[in-house]
Formats: sequence, structure tokens, C-alpha cells
Amino acid sequence: MKILRALTVLCFLLVAMLPLVWLALTSIKTYDDTISPHAKFVPWPASGAPEGDATEPSVRFTPTANAFRKLSQPVAGTPHSFYHYLANSVVIGLLSTVAAVCLGTLGAYGFSRFRIPGSKDWLFFILSTRFLPPLAVVVPVLVMYRWFALDNSHLGLILLYTSFNLSLAVWLMKGFVDEIPRAFEEAALVDGYSRLRTFFRIIVPQASTGMAVTAVFCLISSWNEFGFAMTLNNYEPKTVPVYFAGLQGNIEGVPWPQIAAGMMIFVAPIILFTVLVRRHLLRGVTFGTIKQ
Amino acid sequence: MTKQSTLTLSMILATAVVSGAVAVSSAGCRKSAPEPGGAAATAPAATRSLTIWWAQWAPADGLQELAREFARQENVDVIVHQIPWASFQDQVFQEFGKSQTSFDIVVGDSQWLGRGATKGLYVDLTAWLPSAVAIDSLHPVALKYLAEYPTGSGHYYGAPAETDAMGWAYRKDWFEDPAEHAEFKRQYKRELAVPQTWGELETLARFFTRPDKKRYGAVMVTGRGYDDIVMGFEQILYAFGGSWGDPKTLAVKGSLDSPGAIRALDFFKGLLAYGPPGGGKLGYGEALEPFVNNSTAMLMNYFAFFPDLAKKMSDRVGFFAMPRQGERRFASLGGQGFSISTKVSPAQQELAKKFIAWFLRTDTQKQWVRKPGGFTANAAILKSDEFRKASPYNTAFAESLDIAQDFWNVPVYNELIAATAQQLGEALDGKKSSRDALAQMAAEHQKILRDATP
Amino acid sequence: MGWGFVAPALIVLLALNLFPLLFNIYLSFTNTDLSGGVVKNVGAHNYTVLFSDARYAHALTLTALFVLVSVSVELVLGFVLALALRDHLPGKPIILTVLLIPMMLCPVVLSLFWNLILNGNYGVLNQLLAVAHLPQPQWLTDDDLKLVSILLVDVWMWTPFMMLISLAGLNAIPKYIYEAAEIDRAGPWMVFRTITLPMCAPLLGLAVLLRATDALKQFDLVMAITGPNDSATQTLSARIYQVVFRDYKVGLGAAYGVVILVAVLAVATIFVRYTDRLNQRLGKAAT
Repeated sequence: MKILRALTVLCFLLVAMLPLVWLALTSIKTYDDTISPHAKFVPWPASGAPEGDATEPSVRFTPTANAFRKLSQPVAGTPHSFYHYLANSVVIGLLSTVAAVCLGTLGAYGFSRFRIPGSKDWLFFILSTRFLPPLAVVVPVLVMYRWFALDNSHLGLILLYTSFNLSLAVWLMKGFVDEIPRAFEEAALVDGYSRLRTFFRIIVPQASTGMAVTAVFCLISSWNEFGFAMTLNNYEPKTVPVYFAGLQGNIEGVPWPQIAAGMMIFVAPIILFTVLVRRHLLRGVTFGTIKQ
Repeated sequence: MTKQSTLTLSMILATAVVSGAVAVSSAGCRKSAPEPGGAAATAPAATRSLTIWWAQWAPADGLQELAREFARQENVDVIVHQIPWASFQDQVFQEFGKSQTSFDIVVGDSQWLGRGATKGLYVDLTAWLPSAVAIDSLHPVALKYLAEYPTGSGHYYGAPAETDAMGWAYRKDWFEDPAEHAEFKRQYKRELAVPQTWGELETLARFFTRPDKKRYGAVMVTGRGYDDIVMGFEQILYAFGGSWGDPKTLAVKGSLDSPGAIRALDFFKGLLAYGPPGGGKLGYGEALEPFVNNSTAMLMNYFAFFPDLAKKMSDRVGFFAMPRQGERRFASLGGQGFSISTKVSPAQQELAKKFIAWFLRTDTQKQWVRKPGGFTANAAILKSDEFRKASPYNTAFAESLDIAQDFWNVPVYNELIAATAQQLGEALDGKKSSRDALAQMAAEHQKILRDATP
Repeated sequence: MGWGFVAPALIVLLALNLFPLLFNIYLSFTNTDLSGGVVKNVGAHNYTVLFSDARYAHALTLTALFVLVSVSVELVLGFVLALALRDHLPGKPIILTVLLIPMMLCPVVLSLFWNLILNGNYGVLNQLLAVAHLPQPQWLTDDDLKLVSILLVDVWMWTPFMMLISLAGLNAIPKYIYEAAEIDRAGPWMVFRTITLPMCAPLLGLAVLLRATDALKQFDLVMAITGPNDSATQTLSARIYQVVFRDYKVGLGAAYGVVILVAVLAVATIFVRYTDRLNQRLGKAAT
């Protein structure tokens, strides 16, 4: 039984890791090695073999940091290098996250502590926005954005991501705020603090873990988003996922090593954040409905 | 606060502050364009600018470089903004949906002419074009497909920018290998040479197909995303006697589902068997990979891709134009034309006209062909020896223009292309017989064209 | 008083979530074109076109099939993995975190890379299959396999999600129940059937609902692996993309949006009722 368990876990581990390992290997190969019909996965140059001969039916290749170096130059025909688009993702992701967490925490506090008429309906509405396919919403949003010249702008996508992260933020923070005992606020109110002051002095510090967790999930959601980014921001303020998708069909062939190198850089923060909030992963991915 | 959450929150907040500053400062330059070509500006800051939208590829880089001359002469900024092919069409027509477009000139695909003309998006150039350039100095095919709408009417909505056609690249080193020559002679009793007919091409493809050695004969353009497979098939369709239909009467039945068309599709399918695995779904860029990774002998694609191949593979690659079937010989047209947006000020439109007129001058065209991927419509240059010797693919290119054929350029071309790509795809994937696929395609085309005419 | 706290959030949501949906209803009755032009009211024309279009029915079936297969496979695989991980294992926290990484990554970015792995000419998966003398299917070009390829990537990405929730469900079963079953000398299969499964069922049901609603939105994988116009994989979202951004028919796209909205409202209602009952049963405070 134990062997069966160990085998199962090992199997799943391999399947989970292998594509990522391949990604890492691709990022240190030359272009020819990447598309060679003889797959190469040992980064140790075979002695005596001419350097970079991709037609050699050998599994060894010469590793190179070329792909990473090329990331700072624009790919053939694109106006900017990878880092420009990475900056777009960072700016749009961070600003929408900060806005969503702030507004969401305020809203969650309101729903948690006060009797808001129709709160059940509001919360239902907030939840249902998460179930909408982005493509169903993008049509009217695109038309609206054209009136306000918000399409193809950082601000436009930031606003949209804020509103879609708000649903996640409100639901997650409500769960966290519900867990804070009311005794602290009641004591503060008795001492003459206003509601707002209580919020900032008492609730926020206690909910800080929750806010950090919510911020991470909002950030990951904006970071990985594609549907809206591709249809609304396909011009200057492109985010990284849209940039990569646009490299398909590139005139000089898809630059796989550079894409792999860029992907490594792009997923690194996500992996870091996953590790940081691993204790709250369950709550985060189930929209706050399951708490551990 | 736990240590971890403090760290996370402070990281996020700090970077957010910095990004906020960046965003605010860049919000002011939302419509500013990237530095042209990356070279330092030497002229004093120009007050006017001309914005050209094109797809993201080497010819656009070439245009940017070439345009610096015009920029210097007229003291304007010329900005060539490049958009990836996959979203080029979407972007352009979305931009046209606004009251004012960010571009003055769009270098649009030939098929867009109908939509541009009928929706009032392209400026009518009929009166102006003959004054800007001698009409007979332009190759008639380029004029017909890249400038005229409706085809044959003499009304112009574009001016040829990049003329292109489909051709073949082949592994010269494999073709010239004495061992291969001997083996080919032994099997087929004739010399191994560049194919003149489609039959010869098929034989060569069969000869070079050796799956156990990971070698294949011919790779073609078969992508379903846009018009890749349609363009790949078009030249074979016409060579075998079929056609898209009558451009004047818009009748499709009898042309698209004719016996010739069916033979063409069967041939297309057959050729796939001598291609690399997965060869049934390769877009323009993807089709390069099996050729570049040394597994395929021949590659069918647009000439615009060949300069880069020639640079990468030098002596190992050669080029030839489309083969013939009996007396019929066709090459799918490519290329784009300059069209001026009606949604910019008259002053900008005048500037745009000036640029186009300058571009079409023979001396400018001579420089244009020296840019990688720069192909011309100037008939005189095309015929000249100087041009044909300038690169390994130029001769084949000049031949190809004479036999070029294009797809419908009516306003509903997009639906036609989508229907064609889908049916061709199903035939290639083996889901339908050629006869059924073409019959259904013809029916769909007829319906789309009928629904479109008021 | 409470309004002061919730108002800012609600204003943003109303402006950017609710208003577009209402505007969408208006748009669905017009003939708006993406490249501009005069906008006319066309009554229910878009809806008649939509419901009589074979491609709409096809997209619906395809989406339903995708959801059904992906969720079932992910559930089974995730549950099996959770069973294996339930008890003590050396290095369990690290193993768990590593296993959870695929579901946190960007779907589009990863599936673009999967194209490289699944490529027919030089893809490493087929090369590995060749070494093992197994058949090498054409993942990206064989019409029957395109949906399988998308399912493959989806299962790879989201099985960890099912595993995480299954693990939570399994860990929630109190030890004393198992001890009681041991005293009663119940066999492992009996224990599984009568204790483990039923006690996990509510959370598993939640997991299925969550994953199903996500899978309904499937767009990223389709765009990255086959493009929006492939009849083998044209899910509802891909169909909308094709209609709006390739055929330029904004009005028809809006009609699709309205139809989807009705479906989503139904799903959200089911979801809320289910979680309410679930939370009551698990003894947590009702939200």
C-alpha cells in the first residue's frame, strides 16, 4: 500500500514538474536546438561534437544564456522588448490589486458589521460577476471604453481589473473580517472612536494577513488575465500574456528560447507568492467559501 | 501581523507606489509612438508626423528605415507602427470604428479593399493616383489586386506598397548532392532538378520523404487561423482548372465545385502525405520550422519570408516559382497597399499622399528593393537584370507576379475566408471528401455573397 | 452608516459590471459593427440568427462536453492524489506546494508553451512516445485530438485544485470515526464507501461547481492551442470572439452575451444555495 502511495505521488510530481523543467531547459538552448527533431535535454556539450549542430541525433546540447540576454532587445518587428510589457503587467496588476483590496476591505467591513438592506442580493450579484465569461462582458465594455478613450490605456484595464477583482476581494475579506471578534471594536466605540477610526486602528491591523492574502490572489488573477487584456489592450499597453500570444506566427519563426526565458521570469513571482500564501491557498482559490 | 504578511504587503505597496508614478507619467504620452528604428534623431524636432500602421515583420522595418529619407526631406516624423499579424486586422478595423484614427496610412491586405471602400474608410484615390505615378509603370497585377476596387473598375482605393506572391524555397545542398542525383536517376530514370510541373514536385516530395531518418519532402502553408490555408490552396485550385467564382456575377457554383477543383483539393491532400507530421495545420510562421530544422526538402510560403531564410541558410537554400499544371500556372498573391484613412484631417491626407507619391518614385523603389523583404510593383525594375541578380529569390519573384491570383476582396471577404478555411481544414483532416467539402464551401460562399448584396 | 463603507465598492461594480450588462441587452437589438458605421435597431433579428445558427448549438455542445470531461477527470485524479497524500509523508509541505504550482500559472502562457511540447514535427512528447514504441498521435492537427489536447492541458493545470479541496474534505473527517470503524472490523473498501466518500461529498460537490463555472469560460486555452475558428474546439467564448472580432458583428455578439448571462444567473443561484446549505451543515456561520 505504501509503495502504491509513493508511486502515485511520484507520478503526479513528475507530471506536474516535467513541463516546467522543459521550460527551464528551453530557456537555455539555442533556437536550432529548440526545434530540432531530436529532442535535447542534457545541458552538457558532447565532447568533439561541433558546437550548436542541432542535426546531431544526440540528447546533449550546449547551454547558453543568449535567450535571457536577448530579452532586452525587441523581437524582430515588435516595437518594444519583453521588459516593456513586463512593466505593463506590473503596473496594471499592482494598481488594480491595491484598489481592489482597499475598496474590498471597506466593503467587506460594511457587509460584515452593518445591516445593509438587500445585502444578500448585493453579495449574490458580486458573486455572479465571477461566473461571467470575460468575452460576454467585453463587447459592451469595449463600446463604452471607446466613448471615454479608455481602450488601449493603462487606466482602462486597471479599472476593469479592479472591478473584477473586487468580487474576489469582498468575498475573501468578508470571510476574514467575520472572524475578527467584535469585542475590540465595541471597546473602541465605547471609548468614543468613530467608526472610520475604529476601522483603521482596529480592523485593518487584525485583517492584515487577510489583506495580504487577498492582495496576492488579486495580483495573480490580474497577472494571468488574458481575455480582457487581448481584446481591450492590444496596442501599446499590452500585458505579457498578450505579448506572448502575439509572437505566434512571427515572421522569423516563433522565438522559442526567448519566449521560454520570458516565461521563466513571468512565472517566477507567481511561484514565489504561491509559497508565501500556501497556508491560505484553499481559501483563496475557492473564493472564500471554504476556510481551513 | 505575521512576518510573512508584513513582507508581502510592504512589497506590494512599495512597488505599487513606484508603478503609480510610472503610470501617471506615461498616461500623458498615451498616443506617443516608439522611437523610429532606434537610431538617434539628428534633425530638429519635427512639428508634424505621419503615422503608418503595418504588420509586424521585416518589410515594416525596411519601410521605417527608408522613410527616414522622406522624414529628412519634409521635416516630418514618419512612424511605422507594427502590429503582430494575428491581430493586425482586428486592430485596424477596431481603430476605424473611432471618429478619428491614430494612423494616417494603413498598409492593408489586398482583401480589405472592399470593406475599406464601401464603408467609407479608405480615401478614394482614383483621381489622384495617375497624377502621383505613371500608372503603366506599375505591374498590372499589382495594380489590379492591391489598388483597385471593385476589381476591373478602374477605381483606386490603395497604392501598391509591398507586392508579394507565394513561391518555393528548397534545399539546394540536398538537390545538388551527387549521391541524391544518382539515387533519383536510378528510381525515376531522369535528372533531379527543380520541378517545372506539380507532378514533378510531387515526385520530388515523395523521393525525399524518409520518415525513419526524419526527412520529409514538402511543407506547405495550411494554418486555419486566418487565410493561411486559403492562400496555400488557391494556386493549386486555379492551376488544376478551378476558381473562386465569377467576380462580376458573383456566381460560385460550377467554379468552386468543378471537377478541376476537386482534383486540386485531392492533390493538395496527397501532397500532405509527403510532408512533416503535423503539416496539416501550419501557419505562415510555423511552416518555416520544419524547413529550418533540416527535416524538409521544400517549403511553400510567401516571398516576404525568403530574405530571412537566405540570410540564415545562405548557400544551402534556393528558390523557384510555382510549377504549372499543363498550361496553367498560378501563384497566390500577397502583399499590401497603402490606403489613406478618411478619418484624419485633410492636411494629414495631403501629407499621406505626398509620402505615397515619393515612395512610388522609381529611385525610391530602387532603394526599397534593397531593404530585406522589400518587394516592388515597379514593372521596369522587375524586368531589369540588376534586380534579378540582386538576390537568389528575385528572379523567381519576378516570374511569380506575372501569374498572380488573389481571393475575393468584397466587404464580406472575412466570412468567406472563415468558411473556406473551415471546409479546407476538414477535408485535409480527412473528415470529408474533397467533393463534399467543395460543394459545401460553394454553397456557403453563395449564401454569404447573396446575403451581402442589398 | 454601513453604506459609507460599501458605497465605493458598489459604485465601481455598478459602473463596470452591472451597467455593461444592461448596455449589452440594448446592443443585442442593434446592428452595431465593430468598424463603425450607422447603428440601427433591428429588433430580435440577432436572436433569430443566433438560435438558428448551427455553430451556436455546436459551441454549446462543445462547451458542455469540455466541462463534463475536464471536471470528471480532474475530480477522479485529484481525489486519488489526495488519498495518497492524506497520511504522513516525508517532505509533505514541499511536495504539496510543488504539486499546486500548475494551477497558479497563467493558462495562456503555459498553453503556448505546451504547443512546443505537443508539436507534431519536433515536439518532445511524441519523441518520448517514439522511444517507448508507442503510437505518436498528431495532438495539434488531428481533428479528433484537438479537444483532447486542450483537455490535456486543462487537466494538467487544474487537477491540483481538485486535490487541494479533496484533501481539505479528507482531513475534515474526524479520526474517531475511522477508529470506530476499525473496532467494528470494517474492510477498507467498506470504510471508503460508507465513511470517506459520503463525508467528502459536500466539499467535492463545491469543488465540482467551482471548477465547472470556470471551465464554462474556457477561452485562453482555445486561443493559444487552436485559434478561435476551429470547429473542433470552438467553445462559446471562442465563438463570441469570432463573431465580434473577426466578423465584426457586435450586435450578434451582444445577443450571445445576453444568452450566456441568463445561464450564468441560473448557475450562480444554484451555487449560492449549495454553499448556504454546505456552510449550515458544516456548522459555520451563515454568510
